[in-house]
Amino acid sequence: MTESSMPRPGNVTTPLLSVKGLRTWFHTFGGIVKAVDGVSFDVAPGEIMGLVGESGGGKSMIGFSIMGLIDPPGRVEAGSIEFGGRDLARLGEDEMRSIRGKEIAMIFQDPMTALNPLYTIGNQIEETLALHTTLSARERREKAIEMLHKVGIPQPEQRLHHYPHQFSGGMRQRVVIAIAMIARPRLLIADEPTTALDVTIQAQLLRLMRQQVEESGTSLILITHDLAAVSQMADTIVVLYCGRIVERGPAGDIIARPRHPYTRGLIDSIPHETDIDGAKRRLSQIPGNVPDIRKLPPGCAFAPRCPRASGLCRMQDPVLSEREGTGDGQGPRRLHATACHHPLTVSP
Amino acid sequence: MNGVKTAENAPLLEVRDLEQRFDVSGSLIDRLRFSGGRVSAPRRIVHAVNGVSLSIRRGEVLGIVGESGCGKSTLAKTIVKLNEPTAGQILIDGEDITHHDFTQMRPVRRKMQMIFQDPYASLNPRQKVRDIIMEPYLESQGGSVPDRTERALALLEKVGLGTEHLDRYPHQFSGGQRQRIGIARSLSVQPDLIIADEPVSALDVSIQAQILNLLMDLKDEFGFSYLFITHDLSVVRHISDRIGVMYLGFMVETGPTGTIFSAPKHPYTRALLAAAPQLGTKLGPATEQLGGEVPSAIDLPRGCPFRQRCPLAFARCAEERPVLVPVGGGQSVACHLHEPAIAEPAA
Ligand SMILES: Nc1ncnc2c1ncn2[C@@H]1O[C@H](COP(=O)(O)OP(=O)(O)OP(=O)(O)O)[C@@H](O)[C@H]1O
Ligand SMILES: Nc1ncnc2c1ncn2[C@@H]1O[C@H](COP(=O)(O)OP(=O)(O)OP(=O)(O)O)[C@@H](O)[C@H]1O
Ligand code: SF4
Ligand code: SF4
Ligand SMILES: [Mg+2]
Ligand SMILES: [Mg+2]
Repeated sequence: MTESSMPRPGNVTTPLLSVKGLRTWFHTFGGIVKAVDGVSFDVAPGEIMGLVGESGGGKSMIGFSIMGLIDPPGRVEAGSIEFGGRDLARLGEDEMRSIRGKEIAMIFQDPMTALNPLYTIGNQIEETLALHTTLSARERREKAIEMLHKVGIPQPEQRLHHYPHQFSGGMRQRVVIAIAMIARPRLLIADEPTTALDVTIQAQLLRLMRQQVEESGTSLILITHDLAAVSQMADTIVVLYCGRIVERGPAGDIIARPRHPYTRGLIDSIPHETDIDGAKRRLSQIPGNVPDIRKLPPGCAFAPRCPRASGLCRMQDPVLSEREGTGDGQGPRRLHATACHHPLTVSP
Repeated sequence: MNGVKTAENAPLLEVRDLEQRFDVSGSLIDRLRFSGGRVSAPRRIVHAVNGVSLSIRRGEVLGIVGESGCGKSTLAKTIVKLNEPTAGQILIDGEDITHHDFTQMRPVRRKMQMIFQDPYASLNPRQKVRDIIMEPYLESQGGSVPDRTERALALLEKVGLGTEHLDRYPHQFSGGQRQRIGIARSLSVQPDLIIADEPVSALDVSIQAQILNLLMDLKDEFGFSYLFITHDLSVVRHISDRIGVMYLGFMVETGPTGTIFSAPKHPYTRALLAAAPQLGTKLGPATEQLGGEVPSAIDLPRGCPFRQRCPLAFARCAEERPVLVPVGGGQSVACHLHEPAIAEPAA
């Protein structure tokens, strides 16, 4: 584990989800892909946790691990996933099936993999309801129409009869969101839920999710590369790089005062208005590429790309260590943790 | 559009009054309706693209933005002839490809490639990445190529992937990695024009920056042109020379990027720009900038397509559909409030 296992005094709310030392590896011919490699975090009831990080960094695989959907050659090698008193990593498929969709639902990144091309959208929403509720057929239909309406699909009565390929990318994404939210799960894992949506509908759906969090106390793990969206929504942010947490803390703190050089690099890569004229056209990017995760160098995985790297970084793994967040001092859950030997200091 | 054409700067892509409709009536049973004591079986047609005209010059980037479901992907797929257009004309380099079939499109595909919005669905699950990304190239070369692996690897490296990915299948990749495979494939033939449908939506901002820089380098070096569809306003602002704003299958505003952002005219464009999320600000309560129902592409409203949600709508908007008219400075708007005093109907 790269995690410091300090006790957290004064932490009264029991987390709904507590992931400890999770390792999800894929055993391929070319070597072991350590997609998730020692990840720990807690999510409290009604908390929104943003999960950001590099493409291929292991965000979706964390979600899949929680859902018990890792297929061979992948495997949860180590760690625990405590959810409402049970360790999901140790449950059998039958037990997982009764939790999935009802207590924990996931909005999958790729809507087409979540939708069956052979059934109408209406069939698919009603099936979820039939599985998890005792509503009558007529009530299910009404509920389906109401939910499609809530996610902003025009003429839902007619659209119920359409097949997935007859929807636009963003409409499919909204259908998947409707299906995931309809059974009012206790934990919602939303994997890039709004990437295919324009900003007005994105705002509408983010509000809908937040409303469910506020009204039903649902916890939300929001996986996204959209830092603006995550900063709008999340209480805490977790930043992943090469399957490990490199930074974790209160959302406002992470965005305004990132400590890890990777997080800093991400924030600097967002296109800004100021690079429109004159020197336009070249965006700041983090130099180099993500290393082959089957053959990570010793020491810090970010060292080959890091402007602050030292000899120490190339030898020794930095450990995620917690420090008081500078922002809202809301107790120990709000600590700002960084895995870096030479973290950025807060500039005055 | 408003085109005074001269032979020397004929556009690379020209689209005229393009229409794309889909029949979604389903079976006769599905269609049966009873009303006023009568039985009818109306057809239901999705009006995905309604008379869109646009042109792209060599080395130019046209950004397309608009609401989800407004016809952006359909427009793109019709241009590359994955749909048979219902009406209108598509010209590449002056060649009319509106009615080209698959074989006739072969030489055209060397000039024009598409990056798909849904990367997984567009990648053959049984092909290895090395074969997927070389496919357009092999098609254009008619088979054997000696330095295949080197070429494939060079393409992968351009998009931030490496040797370890050559022999994997699509399902073994993350969402953003798949998207980059689609980008690498489109680059394999060095096309003149890339139709890019949400090409960076699944990428973290650092890799997004890397890809956008790559696309701009290709433009500067080889004069690539792009039709660039995205919902990300900071991206479209960064990359585009001109922007087209679509609503319900109509082009409602076009103009130079700077003008669209500094002086948007169409009420929809204004609402869209106002909704852009800002880094570090909390999501506020619904501001009702855009009230009303999103209209349906199945039953197109009469008059202005935006009128049910437009804060400025007035009587005429319900009667008459506004057409795209130039308002000066290269900007065109389809709104009754912005018709020049002596309105000239758009050509
Ligand atoms: N079946 C598989 N075999 C081998 N490697 C895999 C497999 N599935 C996923 N991986 C690898 O696991 C790593 C983590 O993938 P994951 O999908 O979690 O990334 P992500 O953070 O969600 O990225 P993105 O933002 O691009 O969606 C990636 O490097 C991916 O290539
Ligand atoms: N094959 C099809 N059959 C029937 N209707 C279709 C088909 N393809 C698209 N449509 C409809 O056409 C309209 C436009 O869809 P399109 O995919 O072009 O939207 P888009 O602007 O790309 O949206 P998004 O931003 O969500 O990707 C939608 O109403 C969609 O349901
Ligand atoms: S540990 Fe060293 S190499 Fe790694 S991020 Fe910190 S400074 Fe950079
Ligand atoms: S024509 Fe009327 S309804 Fe349409 S955008 Fe202009 S003011 Fe609004
Ligand atoms: Mg993912
Ligand atoms: Mg689309």
